[in-house]
Amino acid sequence: MNSTQTQPAPRGRYVPPRFRLAAHESILGIILVVVLIALGFLTDRFLTVDNLLNQARLMAEVSLLALPMTYVIITGGIDLSVGSMVGLSAILLGYSWHNWGFPLGLSIVFALAVGTLAGFANGWFITRIRVPPLIMTIATMALYRGFAEGISQAHSVRGYPDWFYIVGQGDALGVPTQLWIVLVAIIVFAVVLKRTVYGRALYAMGFNEIATRFSGLSVDRIKLLAYTASGLMSGLAAFIFVSRVSTTRSDMGMGMELDAIAAVVLGGTSIFGGTGSIGGTVLGLVLIQLLKNGLALTGVKGDATIMVIGSVLILSIVITNFAQRERYADR
Amino acid sequence: MKLALTALALATTLAVGNAWAAGRWDGADDLAVNPLPCGNEAAPAPAAMAYDGGMATNAPDKVGKPITLVDVPKLIGIGYFNATSKGIHDAAAELGNVKVTTDGPTEAKIDEQVKFIDNYLTRGVDGVLFASNDPVAIAPELRKALSRGIHVVGYDANAEPNAREWFVNQAQFNGIAKAMIDSLVKEVGADKSFGIVTSTFTTPNQARWIAEMSAYAAKCYPKLKWLETVEAQEDNILSFNQASTLINKYGDQLSGLFGMTSVATPASAEAVTQAKQCGKIAVIGLATPNAMKPYVKADCVKSVVLWNPVDLGYAATYVMRAIVDGKLKPGATSVEAGKLGKLQVINGSEVLLGAPFIYTKDNINNFDF
Repeated sequence: MNSTQTQPAPRGRYVPPRFRLAAHESILGIILVVVLIALGFLTDRFLTVDNLLNQARLMAEVSLLALPMTYVIITGGIDLSVGSMVGLSAILLGYSWHNWGFPLGLSIVFALAVGTLAGFANGWFITRIRVPPLIMTIATMALYRGFAEGISQAHSVRGYPDWFYIVGQGDALGVPTQLWIVLVAIIVFAVVLKRTVYGRALYAMGFNEIATRFSGLSVDRIKLLAYTASGLMSGLAAFIFVSRVSTTRSDMGMGMELDAIAAVVLGGTSIFGGTGSIGGTVLGLVLIQLLKNGLALTGVKGDATIMVIGSVLILSIVITNFAQRERYADR
Repeated sequence: MKLALTALALATTLAVGNAWAAGRWDGADDLAVNPLPCGNEAAPAPAAMAYDGGMATNAPDKVGKPITLVDVPKLIGIGYFNATSKGIHDAAAELGNVKVTTDGPTEAKIDEQVKFIDNYLTRGVDGVLFASNDPVAIAPELRKALSRGIHVVGYDANAEPNAREWFVNQAQFNGIAKAMIDSLVKEVGADKSFGIVTSTFTTPNQARWIAEMSAYAAKCYPKLKWLETVEAQEDNILSFNQASTLINKYGDQLSGLFGMTSVATPASAEAVTQAKQCGKIAVIGLATPNAMKPYVKADCVKSVVLWNPVDLGYAATYVMRAIVDGKLKPGATSVEAGKLGKLQVINGSEVLLGAPFIYTKDNINNFDF
């Protein structure tokens, strides 16, 4: 006798993940527009091309870090060591040029390689040795920072040739140079996420890693690639940072990991994995940066600005949760 | 097998990394040093140098008119920069036609400081007063300010000379070094050992002082042994921990601790008090009087070498006003600074506040900052 218990009908409408995210992004977009209008109203220096381009220049490094961070968080992991990887790459850029006599072009490539290797080490330990990402990246956060400080002996390297500063301080076609790099990165990361098997696999891993593994997808290789990409982008961000401030310091990048994660989470990526998009991350980045800038321009002091950013983070997540309203009974 | 190989690789990396990293960290910078004569000999008059500061291009003419300034210290929320800020605002109130805002990051990070300055440049100010976290990293931002006709004056911690117009130097670097080392020797003797607690090894003023201190000690007290310099990043708890670590590590060998920041010195004094080494370990450093009053009263700290940070901020505002009014031009040899009188110009584009001021039990109660 078939006494199959049927599942109780889910309460409310079932909203598939992609729509959930689209709703979040739309709400975020609306909040962004509201903020833009309000700040533009309060100060006339805010909505100028000069100011907006300048802000794009200042947020280039965190943007580059937030892109692979989206991938990593979608898989349900996290990478807290990006700030330290930036510091290590930056120090080795200067050190290899100054102390080992590398030609500067080679030093830049070396810095990128160091970042990639650092990310690869993260990924290797997480996939092969099965260290949880949170613990691994907390450990490497300290380890890489220690390497940076030990190798550099806290000496700064300065005095780069003029062409080196074009990336960080120059313009190309009227737009800050690093903005072009960031735009290319955004397009690449977005296309890979939405249009390739790799991107779909990331989502699958975030939802249910075991099922993904049994579906024949190479989960380890996918994760490894994500963390390596995180390292590579850290190296690139380090290069842009050094070019922008014309010096290397062993404390570079401290705190950048939290900025990147805040932007990613604000953009709708669930910290538990499975949902997220590059578009949302970009919206999150823009919102936070413009808020910081706009508030400072209206005269709000530094400490109050931090409070406002925190409140906006909480508010936008509450609003999006409230507006979507669907609750899946056993999710 | 895999695990063993991994462990071996990790251990090797750590060992190599540590061996590579080991080595004396002295916290000094690489610029030239110029130690003063030992003892009480008078210092030779410094040679006059050509002006090497930057210039604001096409600055609007605001002679006698009200101006708006922004003051961006290394960080806000510590006693020292509260004091400089007070001096800046006092001078602004006295002058009557200067409006100043003090704003800055809550941590001594150069990236944050650059962002703050950048926002104020966009807002539109007539002048920027700064105390930099890194002399080179802040330079591109300051040059941007100069290119927009905004005046730039530094105090406490310098930037590259051509990124600012003038720099108000609290005391000659070698003068501070001499005062610090002489105070230590007076208290414990010339053949003892000491440690240093500083902010970071790249902070410009601390690095200069340490460089001068080691040069002066090597010249005048060759038997004075310098054990170690530790970083404490203007953080209270870290300073205390680092000082305690030094005390525990060197035990009886340690006779003196230098605190190079206004956060490190009270923390070091606290560490010495809690380790019950008052009187056995001398604590000398720069700090605001209020922070040191309990330790000076308890006779744990005999002298605090400093200058008056309120006067420093005061002088900075007056220098800025003098630039805007056209009274301070490149090549000048002195500048009028209100109640401080005439201040000398040294090193081309620096304004000297005066000789270091020593706070002791007798006079520390006269100050409240």
